[in-house]
Amino acid sequence: MLVKVSSALNLGLHTLAMDVEVNLAGRGLPAFEIVGLPTKAVAESKQRVRIAIMNSQIQFPKSRIVINLAPADVPKEGAFYDLPIAAGIIAASLACPLPDKSLFFGELSLDGRLRHTKGTLLLALFAKEKGVKNIFIPKESANEAAAVKGLNVYPVESLSQLVACFCGNQDLAPVESSKKEVNEKHFKKAEFDMKEVLGQEQAKRAMEIAAAGSHNLFMTGSPGSGKTMLARAFPGILPPLSEPESLEVTKIYSTSGLIPPDGSVVKSRPFRAPHHTISPVGLIGGGSRVKPGEVSLAHRGVLFLDEFNEFPRSALEALRQPLEDYRISVCRSRGKAIFPAQFILLASANPCPCGYLYHPGRDCICSAREIEKYRKRISGPILDRIDMLVEVPVVDVKAFSAFDFQKAKNFLERSESIRQRVIRARNIQSKRFKEDSIYVNAEMKNSQIKKHCFLLSRAKEILIDAAAKFNLSARSYYKTIKIARTIADLDGCQNIEDSHIAEALQYRHWGGDKNFA
Amino acid sequence: MKIVDIDDPKYPPLLKQIPSRPDKLYYKGQWDEAIFAKCLAVVGSRRMTTYGRQVTTELVEKAALEGITIVSGFMYGVDAQAHRAALKAKGRTIAVMPCGIDLIHPAYQEDLYWQILNSRGLIISESEGQAPPAKWSYPRRNRIVAGLSQATLVIEAALGSGSLITAGLARKFKRKLFAVPGPLTSSVSRGTLQLIKEGAVVVTNIDDILSLYGLDRQKKVKFRENQFKCLGRLEKEIINILSREPKEIDYLSRQLKIASSKLGAVLSLMKLKGFIGQERGKYYVGKSFFGS
Repeated sequence: MLVKVSSALNLGLHTLAMDVEVNLAGRGLPAFEIVGLPTKAVAESKQRVRIAIMNSQIQFPKSRIVINLAPADVPKEGAFYDLPIAAGIIAASLACPLPDKSLFFGELSLDGRLRHTKGTLLLALFAKEKGVKNIFIPKESANEAAAVKGLNVYPVESLSQLVACFCGNQDLAPVESSKKEVNEKHFKKAEFDMKEVLGQEQAKRAMEIAAAGSHNLFMTGSPGSGKTMLARAFPGILPPLSEPESLEVTKIYSTSGLIPPDGSVVKSRPFRAPHHTISPVGLIGGGSRVKPGEVSLAHRGVLFLDEFNEFPRSALEALRQPLEDYRISVCRSRGKAIFPAQFILLASANPCPCGYLYHPGRDCICSAREIEKYRKRISGPILDRIDMLVEVPVVDVKAFSAFDFQKAKNFLERSESIRQRVIRARNIQSKRFKEDSIYVNAEMKNSQIKKHCFLLSRAKEILIDAAAKFNLSARSYYKTIKIARTIADLDGCQNIEDSHIAEALQYRHWGGDKNFA
Repeated sequence: MKIVDIDDPKYPPLLKQIPSRPDKLYYKGQWDEAIFAKCLAVVGSRRMTTYGRQVTTELVEKAALEGITIVSGFMYGVDAQAHRAALKAKGRTIAVMPCGIDLIHPAYQEDLYWQILNSRGLIISESEGQAPPAKWSYPRRNRIVAGLSQATLVIEAALGSGSLITAGLARKFKRKLFAVPGPLTSSVSRGTLQLIKEGAVVVTNIDDILSLYGLDRQKKVKFRENQFKCLGRLEKEIINILSREPKEIDYLSRQLKIASSKLGAVLSLMKLKGFIGQERGKYYVGKSFFGS
């Protein structure tokens, strides 16, 4: 008897239809075989399926079983096909029909229960696109798939429950699309409040602009000046994810298996802080099975690269494409994938290897050659792609104790009040870009800049003046306008005024510090 | 190969007076005796501070404007800044190399090297070919720097630095020695302050140097006051704070009680107009408000 069960195959963010064909032959010695390019995890599913069926008090058929995973020429990976295979065997041996227009997906445990399986959101999106009505997935992964509306997502707890449902003994109710937030432990919340960081008014302002328009920010400063603390406080001023953004992020987290059991869609912006020993593949994605890297896991969120100069050159240079196109295409022998990667790059570095160059109280012990070498680790093209540069000065603790904080409370603003301004600016942006299929100012292409950024004549004069005086590249010129657009949005202004351009220019690293000797 | 030896009438007369004069001078560029008529050696620390840069630029530009040739050692820091400032004032400058005449050291200053040659300047060395610099070749080079010049100006120098060796040589050759005072707290001012203690002439403005060469400033720029008058109240306050000491924006924002976003815009415009400059995260007053 032949039974066909529908399932799907996730390749990166791309999903393919897959059929699991189960044939039970009455004649011949009992056997159990899987064909259709199964890799190790799929081939081992034989053992899991057999024992799980037996442990669910269902007789395992004593016939010659052949499973074909079609299309047969695409390698199958992972333990997602345990459920469709088991469902097919049970349907064939008990001769009970499976519901049509249904997809099955999930990993089995030996006791017959279903385990949390990654990628169910992608499966649900695929089902909706193909007009499939029902999907049967493990209960622990059902919340994630339930984010897709107009679909019956059946949370399956165990094989015996599924069989009872097929035989009509028991009803299985689809999950309500839940509003439950993803378990926060996988995503970092702000460890510090901006209020806790003394001084650094300029850096905080730059962070506010970065958060509002999704601009990249590079901070340099001596050890102990507060760069890392500022970065750790950064998530606290980020706006919440909008619904479409959240779906984009969840897709990436789903395929990477980073959604925890019972987790739903990702609601807070990712904050990724990989260590500087990361490999290029770890950063941009790839591997023999093409997986998203840190740049994609930081999509719509923050990629914090502490000690920017210490990252391998190859990894940093690989950032060029995502910083320009907001996506990364990874081609490997076993396949290629395009992952979105629109993140805020937050980088920090010391001014020199010893860290004390320009320090008011300590002498730098680096030679000019060492400093030159240290700086050259970051190439011009990468620096040109970074929107804002701020120098984080060493905070003079003594000056601070003398300074009266009560009188100037606005210098120690809480993260939450900064965040409210950021959210307002983002709302303005999402209205503006309704028809442009982008979300933030940083994503504007030149044509969109012309459309959305009107510079008042005085502002234009200043910009042209500065471009001539400080040799701004064409990219720099447009980046300045984008930052000014964000500053105007924070101000609630329709047009870009001279003060907005002037402030934006402050963060572009013209002239500045090239001549350190 | 271009050589001038000791018997050549073109050999710089001032250098000829010193006891350890080199027998041969290798050079690049156009040898013109007039270049040696009025020479000022400008030396200082490799670890130049913002103050050092300001002072070097200010003094050297004005000296070069009056036709004084600036002699220095082509090292990064004060040396390179002195060469650059002289070039900026369209003056002539001589770089005395610690290495063979055919070597550009440090190599990343190649642009400066060619600028010196293209502005009727000279590159001089006492060793030939590609000889690399050595620890002992720097102090030996310094005797030529001091020997070529009527006076030596030390801008910033740490204790025990090469600049103090040059200063000592200048004194030994009975040449005038000028030193720029600096803050007591700066490690690169200790050397210059010690020189002052030992009798070097304190330089407070360019006239102190020009009078030695019998020169007078042709046009004393008076626009400092005029320009200051045109400034707004906030801009004046900023200039007042910055003329004491270079400061970062966070400090200004706290002192003036203005949000750094607003202040950033003001500073940016002031920078665009050249009233202030920015270096190492700090703002400093621009040339028109600096010095006299």
